[in-house]
Amino acid sequence: METTLKTTQLNSWHRANGANMANFGGFDMPLWYETGVKLEHLAVVESAGIFDTSHMACVMVTGKDALNLLQLCHTRDLDSLKNGRCVYGAILNEKGHVIDDAIVYRFDETSYMVCVNAGMGTTVASHFQNHKSSLIAGHERPVEVTVTDLSEKVSKMDIQGKNSAKILKKVLHNPDTLFEKMPYFSFKGDLSADSKARLKNGTPLLLSRSGYTGEFGFEMFISPDAIVQLWQDILEAGKEYNLIACGLGARDSLRAGSVLPLSHQDVGNWKFVNTPWSFALPYDSDKSGFTKTFIGSEALLSSENSKNENGTRYTFAFVGQDLRKIGAGSDSQVIDGNGKAIGTVLTCATDMAIGWHNNKIYSIASPDLPEGFKAKGISCGFVLVDRKLDIGTKLVLQEKNRKINVTIVDDVRPHRTARGKISNFI
Amino acid sequence: MKELSELNLPENLKYSDDHEWARVDGDVVTIGIDDYAQDQLGEVVFVEVPEIGDTFSKGDQFGTVESVKAVSEIYTPVSGKIFAVNDSLAEAPELINNSPYEDGWIIKIKADNLSELDNLKDKASYFQMLKG
Repeated sequence: METTLKTTQLNSWHRANGANMANFGGFDMPLWYETGVKLEHLAVVESAGIFDTSHMACVMVTGKDALNLLQLCHTRDLDSLKNGRCVYGAILNEKGHVIDDAIVYRFDETSYMVCVNAGMGTTVASHFQNHKSSLIAGHERPVEVTVTDLSEKVSKMDIQGKNSAKILKKVLHNPDTLFEKMPYFSFKGDLSADSKARLKNGTPLLLSRSGYTGEFGFEMFISPDAIVQLWQDILEAGKEYNLIACGLGARDSLRAGSVLPLSHQDVGNWKFVNTPWSFALPYDSDKSGFTKTFIGSEALLSSENSKNENGTRYTFAFVGQDLRKIGAGSDSQVIDGNGKAIGTVLTCATDMAIGWHNNKIYSIASPDLPEGFKAKGISCGFVLVDRKLDIGTKLVLQEKNRKINVTIVDDVRPHRTARGKISNFI
Repeated sequence: MKELSELNLPENLKYSDDHEWARVDGDVVTIGIDDYAQDQLGEVVFVEVPEIGDTFSKGDQFGTVESVKAVSEIYTPVSGKIFAVNDSLAEAPELINNSPYEDGWIIKIKADNLSELDNLKDKASYFQMLKG
């Protein structure tokens, strides 16, 4: 049986510009362009790059019970989320396994947008629909919430890197107002005609200070019929900053170096606990429980306190000794200091912007670069193991007859810019 | 990825099913990976080569070519002793992409028995195999 890949509005642009294309989540997407993954990765750390992320999906949740439904279905405690802010978390099933990870955007108390991964719009929308009925029990009045899958009705592109705001300034109608007080994980505008964020030609957009590279930048949601023009205008505006288009290859190595998970690879069909992403769970102050009950919360708490039949599993980030990597997945093994196999490799990629110097990792963007430092690249990623490991633990990762030595770490690429004050980048 | 018709497959080389090429000069065989392999791998970032003097039997893995996308093992199509390795690849692994048959050669091996190369394909039959 032949399946037809979906395409984004930018597909012809990718193909006309020498992109190496592959299937990603059912979409025909660029892995890299003629510039190559290494230069695309370095461009984002040194200056800026743009990514077609229109394969991602959005689900609108509106109505009086929108917050109640999202509190039930998303792992973050959204009670404290303010208008114009967004937050990263996960959508779990009753077992505490990850259906998908998702950023929730709050427009106001009755209007939210949930941004999920490629091809997940329908799955997440029907998951939300199915749980509307769970809300009925506690209410005197009928449940008021509407779930709308916006897949293919919204296009999206990201600009990432320290020069992103300087470049966007040239295409936005009102950049100064937009960039004023715009902290990490906040957003402005929407896709309506009276959007507060607009391009010079008047096109409305949603501008979010977020991304998936660990570097300063923005995600932009816009009408599908306006994305190609925006892409081309930004490329033109970014010429003086050596802005380039980047594919999913660079996106993968950038996010691995920033200790960010890839959904369905680093988080998935196992309990979402004991990970580097515990900030995405609503732990109470003494970390013994959660501040709310949500789908999967019971399962997560039970695994914290007692071993389940599969044993508790732990996810850790690692770095290698040099740029050499191994294949991840079920053929891979994690070997501890006693030669015992303790798990598998979830992700192994190479961050080409970093290198070792006297047992310390530096990035090409580090302010304190030692003389003669050369970023030769370091492999990094995540392992899923059957025991708790201390930071600094040495392990061997093996795939067939290939082995690399790695160390468990809590962070990889230093001096990332994602969280910096916007005033430093304008 | 390149279309098959875009591949550069020189006539004077022999090709293995694993996408290595071999060029015979006396009893020394130069080995590298071909245009198809480098295109599939994408940007090569690291090449692991053996030491001069190492001996290998036909079919042995003698090194690895690592790209941003994947790690690929490379096998010798002929038994013998390593006569030379391409030191330039340590600093410039991208030579494999830019010049797979010239500057991007990987090893030269002094062959024990050149007839082992008879199993390799010429350009036409290798191209047929790629077409599937």
